[in-house]
Amino acid sequence: MNFALRDKVMLAIAVLLAAVYLFPLYWMYVTAIKTGSAMFASPPSFWPADPQWSIYRSVWESRNVGRYLWNSVVIASGAVLMITILGTGCAYVLARYRNAWVDAGLFLILMLQVLPASLMITPIFVGFSQLGLLDYPRTAVILAIAAKSMPFFVVLVRATFMSVPIELEEAALVDGNSRFGAFFHIVLPLARNGILVSAILIFMQAFGEFVYSKSMIQAIEYQPASVGLNSFMGPNTNEWNNIMAYAAMYVTPILAIFVLLQRRIVSGLTSGALK
Amino acid sequence: MKRLLLSISDGRGFDIALVSVPLTFLFMMAGLPLAYNIVMSFQEVDMFSLGTFLRPFVGLKNYATLFSMPETWPILKNTALFVIASIAGQFIIGFGLALFFWTNFPGASWLRGLFLVSWVMPGLVVGAIWNWILSGDFGVLNYLLRESGLITGNIFWRSDPSFSLWAVVIANIWLGISFNMILLSVGLSTISQDLYEAAELDGANVFQRFFTITLPMMRSTIGAIISLGLIFTLQQFDLFAAITAGGPNNSSNVAQYWAWDLSFRQYDFAQGATISVIMIVFVMIASVVYVRSTRHEVRG
Repeated sequence: MNFALRDKVMLAIAVLLAAVYLFPLYWMYVTAIKTGSAMFASPPSFWPADPQWSIYRSVWESRNVGRYLWNSVVIASGAVLMITILGTGCAYVLARYRNAWVDAGLFLILMLQVLPASLMITPIFVGFSQLGLLDYPRTAVILAIAAKSMPFFVVLVRATFMSVPIELEEAALVDGNSRFGAFFHIVLPLARNGILVSAILIFMQAFGEFVYSKSMIQAIEYQPASVGLNSFMGPNTNEWNNIMAYAAMYVTPILAIFVLLQRRIVSGLTSGALK
Repeated sequence: MKRLLLSISDGRGFDIALVSVPLTFLFMMAGLPLAYNIVMSFQEVDMFSLGTFLRPFVGLKNYATLFSMPETWPILKNTALFVIASIAGQFIIGFGLALFFWTNFPGASWLRGLFLVSWVMPGLVVGAIWNWILSGDFGVLNYLLRESGLITGNIFWRSDPSFSLWAVVIANIWLGISFNMILLSVGLSTISQDLYEAAELDGANVFQRFFTITLPMMRSTIGAIISLGLIFTLQQFDLFAAITAGGPNNSSNVAQYWAWDLSFRQYDFAQGATISVIMIVFVMIASVVYVRSTRHEVRG
């Protein structure tokens, strides 16, 4: 078999596999613009004959999607801001030294990364309610998410700091910089890209967070989009086109960021999990 | 005071300041709740004693009650089934895809990146989409299975007790393929091509090369991925909330959803804390395996 043909066959199989894999996403977008009767037609149509683009506007208004998305953005931004400020320095120290203390710290952080949110929410909820933090529900959720996602951020950013040559920092110190100055003027700018990609990853996770928000935010005007989607899906719902339109509006911004930054996200992710 | 400031801006104090603030934060937000969880599992907690720390201690009563409940063993069995089926599905499909894309044809790396889409999607959205795909009368999966002759009548994935757990497993496999595939791809790319060339010269066929080179070289990667899969599967909550909510009649309930359900649906915080303690011990064991299999790299 010649190589050009082999490549073409492989590419065709790969496209087919990707199509099968991405079908759920396609089905979401197609269902969203179907009419009520087309949605329940049998056999189902895989191409909308009569696309209802107005559904996006009507769901946006009737379900208050704007408010939900805004809350998601507030919660995710707050968590990312906190994690970046606290986690960057921690990752730097853990990358710069090799001793028993650093090993112990890393071990601790890796262990914290694995605690399931749905199990930790019981003590966090009771503790927060005793401290009165539940009166500020979005802040409470931000704190909880920050603690949950910071270990992952530290692991990712530590890998970035490891790739910054220590000689550059030493040269800056010899030139009369303080540790403080060398960190902010030399090391941080060099690690900027890695920190940015990790922060975006954390943002996307926090944007879809559900357990903490569902348990701690009772007031509907502070709930994020994930909780809104959950309350939209009643047990016997049949408004699937509306639900899929809501889901599409929720997930499309994340997908757009992902497609734009795909290469960087993939390399950032893989450097953290196994290194 | 001046010496302290100097140390913070230009000495050991700088490192200590950078690392102590986040570690204190993590201790308060993860360490303390962990300890509090254990304390609560030995206490009697109800809506009235929620606001106070001084609750009556009841010893092991919560644990005894837990294991005398009729639903406990079926739910633990569901959890084991969910974990094993999800990991098996994710790993086999992910490994297959990783091997396929490893053959390196034009466009492979770009198409492989597309498979990461599920990783960034909110769990609730994934759950909502699968909820609709798996719907009994109008679901597209039932339609495809019917047309291909695999089933004759519709399967009521979400409401039939013998299928409800599998509905969540299917969605979770779809969700988990991405990280299995991408991490396995990373592992595969570190194997030296020379080994394969040497084996080929010695006359080893595809299967011999796979079982004598690929698998042994991937051992630590596979260990890390399986334990990561265990950790992620035990964290899975959103899909249960979006697809079956544990029902019908607990047939698709798993421990991590049940703990939340007891605390926040039935307001039985003590029982919720008790299950949490048991499950956290499991997760900790998995994470020790994970940390050990990546340890040589952690040490750098």
